[in-house]
Amino acid sequence: MGNFKLTSVEEFEAATARLLETGKKVGADAWQYRVANQTPHCKFGEQGVCCRICSMGPCRITPKAPRGICGCDVHGIVARNYLKFTAGGAATHSDHGREICHTLYCAKPEGPYKVKDPEKLLRIAKEWGVETEGKDIYDLAHEVALLGLGEYGKVFGNQNFIKRAPEHTQELWQREEIAPRAIDREVASSLHMTHMGCSSKPEALIRQSLRAGLADGWGGSMAGTEFSDVLFGTPKPIETEANLGVMEKDNVNIVVHGHDPSLSEMICEYADDPEMIAYAKSKGAKGITVSGVCCTSNEVAMRRGIPMAGNFLQQENVVLTGACEAIVVDVQCIFPALGPLSKCFHTKFVTTSPIAQMPDSEYIRFNAETADENAKAIVKMAIDNFVNRKPELVYIPDMKQKATVGYSVEAIVKTLDGVTNSQVDETGTTKPLIECITSGVIRGAVAMVGCNNPRVRPDLAHIELMKKLIANDIIIVASGCSAQAAAKAGLMDKEARELCGAGLKRVCELADIPPVLHMGSCVDISRMMVLVAELSKDSGLNISQLPVVGCAPEWMSEKAVSIGNYVVATGLDTFLGVDPYVSGSSEVAELLTGGIRDWVEAAYTVEKDIDKLGDAMIERIEEKRAALGI
Amino acid sequence: MTLFDVVFSGNDAVYGLTEGAINDAIAKYGEDKAIAFPDTAYSLPCYYGVTGTKVATLGELKNALGVVKTLMTREKRLNDAFMSGIATALCAEFIEVLKYMDGAVPYEAPCYGHLGDAVIRELGVPLVTGDIPGVAVILGSAPTAQEGVDLVKSYQAQGILVTLVGGIIDQCEELGYKTGANVRVIPLGKDVTSVIHVVSVAVRAALIFGNIKPGDAAGLMKYTMERVPAFVNAFAPLNDVIVACGAGAIALGFPVITNEETFRVPKSLIVQKDVSKFNATSLEARDIKIKITHIDIPVAFASAFEGEIIRRGDMQVEFDGSRVDCCELVHAKDASEIEDHKIELIGPDVDEMPVGSKQSIAYVVEVAGKNMQADFEPVFERKFHSYLNCIEGIMHTGQRDMIRIRISKDAYAAGFRAKHIGEVLYAKVKSEFAAVVDKCQVKIYTDPAECTRIRHEVAMPMFDKRDERLMTLTDEGVDVYYSCIMCQAFSPSHVCVVTPERLGLCGAVSWLDAKATHQLDPEGPCQVITKEKVIDERIGEYEDVNDAVRKFSQGALEDVSLYSIIEKPMTSCGCFECICGIEPLSNGVCIANREYAGMTPIGMTFPELASMTGGGVQTPGFMGHGKHFIASKKFMKAEGGVARIVWMPKDLKEQVADRLNATAKELYGIDNFVDMIGDETIAEDPETLLAFLEEKGHPALTMEPMM
Repeated sequence: MGNFKLTSVEEFEAATARLLETGKKVGADAWQYRVANQTPHCKFGEQGVCCRICSMGPCRITPKAPRGICGCDVHGIVARNYLKFTAGGAATHSDHGREICHTLYCAKPEGPYKVKDPEKLLRIAKEWGVETEGKDIYDLAHEVALLGLGEYGKVFGNQNFIKRAPEHTQELWQREEIAPRAIDREVASSLHMTHMGCSSKPEALIRQSLRAGLADGWGGSMAGTEFSDVLFGTPKPIETEANLGVMEKDNVNIVVHGHDPSLSEMICEYADDPEMIAYAKSKGAKGITVSGVCCTSNEVAMRRGIPMAGNFLQQENVVLTGACEAIVVDVQCIFPALGPLSKCFHTKFVTTSPIAQMPDSEYIRFNAETADENAKAIVKMAIDNFVNRKPELVYIPDMKQKATVGYSVEAIVKTLDGVTNSQVDETGTTKPLIECITSGVIRGAVAMVGCNNPRVRPDLAHIELMKKLIANDIIIVASGCSAQAAAKAGLMDKEARELCGAGLKRVCELADIPPVLHMGSCVDISRMMVLVAELSKDSGLNISQLPVVGCAPEWMSEKAVSIGNYVVATGLDTFLGVDPYVSGSSEVAELLTGGIRDWVEAAYTVEKDIDKLGDAMIERIEEKRAALGI
Repeated sequence: MTLFDVVFSGNDAVYGLTEGAINDAIAKYGEDKAIAFPDTAYSLPCYYGVTGTKVATLGELKNALGVVKTLMTREKRLNDAFMSGIATALCAEFIEVLKYMDGAVPYEAPCYGHLGDAVIRELGVPLVTGDIPGVAVILGSAPTAQEGVDLVKSYQAQGILVTLVGGIIDQCEELGYKTGANVRVIPLGKDVTSVIHVVSVAVRAALIFGNIKPGDAAGLMKYTMERVPAFVNAFAPLNDVIVACGAGAIALGFPVITNEETFRVPKSLIVQKDVSKFNATSLEARDIKIKITHIDIPVAFASAFEGEIIRRGDMQVEFDGSRVDCCELVHAKDASEIEDHKIELIGPDVDEMPVGSKQSIAYVVEVAGKNMQADFEPVFERKFHSYLNCIEGIMHTGQRDMIRIRISKDAYAAGFRAKHIGEVLYAKVKSEFAAVVDKCQVKIYTDPAECTRIRHEVAMPMFDKRDERLMTLTDEGVDVYYSCIMCQAFSPSHVCVVTPERLGLCGAVSWLDAKATHQLDPEGPCQVITKEKVIDERIGEYEDVNDAVRKFSQGALEDVSLYSIIEKPMTSCGCFECICGIEPLSNGVCIANREYAGMTPIGMTFPELASMTGGGVQTPGFMGHGKHFIASKKFMKAEGGVARIVWMPKDLKEQVADRLNATAKELYGIDNFVDMIGDETIAEDPETLLAFLEEKGHPALTMEPMM
């Protein structure tokens, strides 16, 4: 205590400004400049009223031209665009999950990929009705992996994981015909529905958006999360640090970026290898530092305590430090700008996935069978590159915060066990949290997720909302770039309890947790779904009755829309700080912010004023409390 | 009504009463009338502690009430409920001080009412040293007088200071239960407001001992939460006023345990319907651990007895794991599965065993704790050797399922029975590992069938699992090794160097165990040994290791190798599971395990080999080791590895076969290597052995000469 102080967004920005000066010296481009070039944005695009799904158009809807050439009205076009956006996100997350299933299928006792959490594997196998008795753990892993892969194309039935949802939720999904079938089918059906001459009825399109979202959240993403845990270990609380200051001036700096932990896990493994460290020393470095950007960073931070260099809009900054030997990427949210930018420095921009191939990168194709060799080659390439560093360009902002991360559902339950009393309580449940909520000690919970977006002053919305919520005794679970914003600010330092209201502060003290709990990467929002499902079952309340809401104040990607759809469809009101390109249609906007409540007992709120967004969430939480009489 | 609404309502009610009482008093005596609690320099202590302002007259009291009103905010947040709880407590203090007006003596025996500063100074030291491990505040009437008195008595027996408010006082009187400061049971008063007199003690403790500045309310609340181990037991029915007072207690960090169905808040407001469990529930809620200072056994317990030898003739009975099924085991469980201090004997007691007989025993110590890790299990287990040896008239050797315990005739005559083993293990585990063990129970099995079951179905799988975890670790893969000197009581110059691939020679201390031991007790028997300065990689010699061995053997040993039995072999204490020794004719080694009673081709039995090898001296060509080490890739690495093994007892062969075959396959590409190794059914002399080895084409025959 005493020395604890949050890092402000102004301080972040000052550091970025200093790095952009380095950039200017070498003629580097940056998103800040590109945003200026792209402003003002296309209004038709922003409102979602532009249709280019056939070559008769493009058609743009205006008061004078209220229908496209085919006769589709603005509501059909906006809803179709929304569904296409969702399908993109659902496909992306789910393909990541598929890759993890495949990695699990390749796991072998002698590595490089092993089963690190056999107990979790056994749990999932039993959940899926797989006979486990007397089976070798790797045989079982392969069997479960195959079943997991089967979820993508299963001929009949719904996703296996939806049985984790409370009965009531499952009934809603069946009643509304949005229970997700095969993952690939939901994506393909979405694209089918949005083909020229198929659906133009907003209700049908939005319904399918929810279904595709659910195929992601309770299908592909959940597979990604669960099988990553089986392979790499289920996260538990671990100390780490966040912000650019985690990069070490005298070390070889390798930055991992993207989403799939298969690559980064191996990189971390080899960066820790004494042989590699010795090699780095032979090249004049003091050691090797691996740090992360984006969700790959979240993955390795949660499991290994690897420090987080920054979130989405900080990806160029790591190269601008001049101290990054290699930025190694897998899939998703990677700026193509990194290619040209890396050419301004000595940095190697290493792409590894056939899914994400970019100009101006070194492409080292990574696959599960040869992962160890690939990783070793990459680490070695980074070390070899150390001597090419230009000392005059090196500037690492001296800015970092401590963070405790790693709050998987399992870890949260374990933490809650710590405040039970063995004379009266059972362990292994979320009941202690429910008791805190029903007694009013904690008012509710907000799941803060999502990206950065230049439309919002980066990180400010995340951080200010969190500060406001915790001061009002609302606990935060965070993931993705939102979680990293919190970590950079210091909100995942246990000392941040001092910023909480008396209730949350007391809970943080007794449970020894920070007020903002890091639940992982963006696929790990599936963890949040499991958590609310458990809260619902343990409390006997429907998910929609819980004083819990979702929030994505700075979202930007298709994945985020898919996430929003499954969070809402699971029964959680969801608050957005950026409009999902639907303002052009009153019908679609009304459906999303109201109509779908009849289907899934929850809906969206879009509010660009961050302060009002926070108030709206607190108000909604208090409404839910009042309805329960607590 | 929500919990906060109840608190607010209770607070409003008490505030109303207080306001009325102050107004009445002013009407009667005027604003200048002096008010004070007797025998305190801090009047009014609670108000002074919270605000930093002293109150000496009725007029000042009225102003103070105005300040209290400002605490009574009504937002739906815990802070408001906490502050309203504090406001309620302050109102109670105001009502109480009015009782002392004009030198009145409002409390009569047995009630104490306000407690003077002297009492606090008296209680301060024992509270700080833990001699008074906690302060119980019991409020209201227990369901029956007997239950109430039993609860009071249970705390008293633990040295906890008990204060009583309301009906419980009458219940104690009704049953003639003695109360008073001298027996640490202090009835405060029968009105609920009298509870403030114990709060006043806590507040003054913070001012006197905690150096908290009056007016530093946050510092005060932190002090009471972290330093004053108080808790409240409030009996049903609870009214709004009691709940409001409870909010005040919780604000100060004192959990409230009640038998009324109400809201629940973890570690703070706990509903326990069974009054007989109030004690255990409260202690757990406040993290109070009762020190065990006395072990209830009929013989002495001291380290003086640790090296005591009990000869066959002096022994009443013997439990011998090398002949019958025995084992010792620590098992971490869920807290809910354990009843603290339950000692259970399953099977006959010592009385029913013939004098001098060999018997089975299996004792399982089940522990639970929030900070307990499975990694600690073997660490506790390894300490049993020392614990049991400290009992006068008891001798213990070995570990895991190879234990031997002798109970002397004298100890038996003094009344020592099987359950006393449990008492000792309970007391020692609870006290030495208080940091991680919250609850502990012991099951002692003497029924032979049960012992067989526990050994083979419970213990062995757990031992195997622990060993398996080790399999994934290699000597090269870790940065440090650990020393282990647990056996120095018997073998003062012996030091084990424990590495991932070479566990302690007793077979019970793996690298993980040593690491955990070090974590639990950084100054204890397992110390970190670095391995940065290699002298000779082939035999595994390091400068850092030699330095450590020199230090921990007090200079008795100069240098050791990790992987050779010829050059500077590691010493042995006497606890080893196995001994290997050179068999010159076949150019290999024979291994004998402790259970093996017959002859070896070396021409010596296990005891004969042991007498040569133990005692912490280096005997080139001979070495004690654990069973698990046999299949290690580091076993005699300097001499060529496991291919040197030419003979083992059949039983041992079977135990290690799978792993040894795997190692041989990996190192030399040999299939079914174990089939090439002789045993007592094949040969007990070197010549017959050699013929067998030649027939099998054993690899040792073609290896370089060992000597």
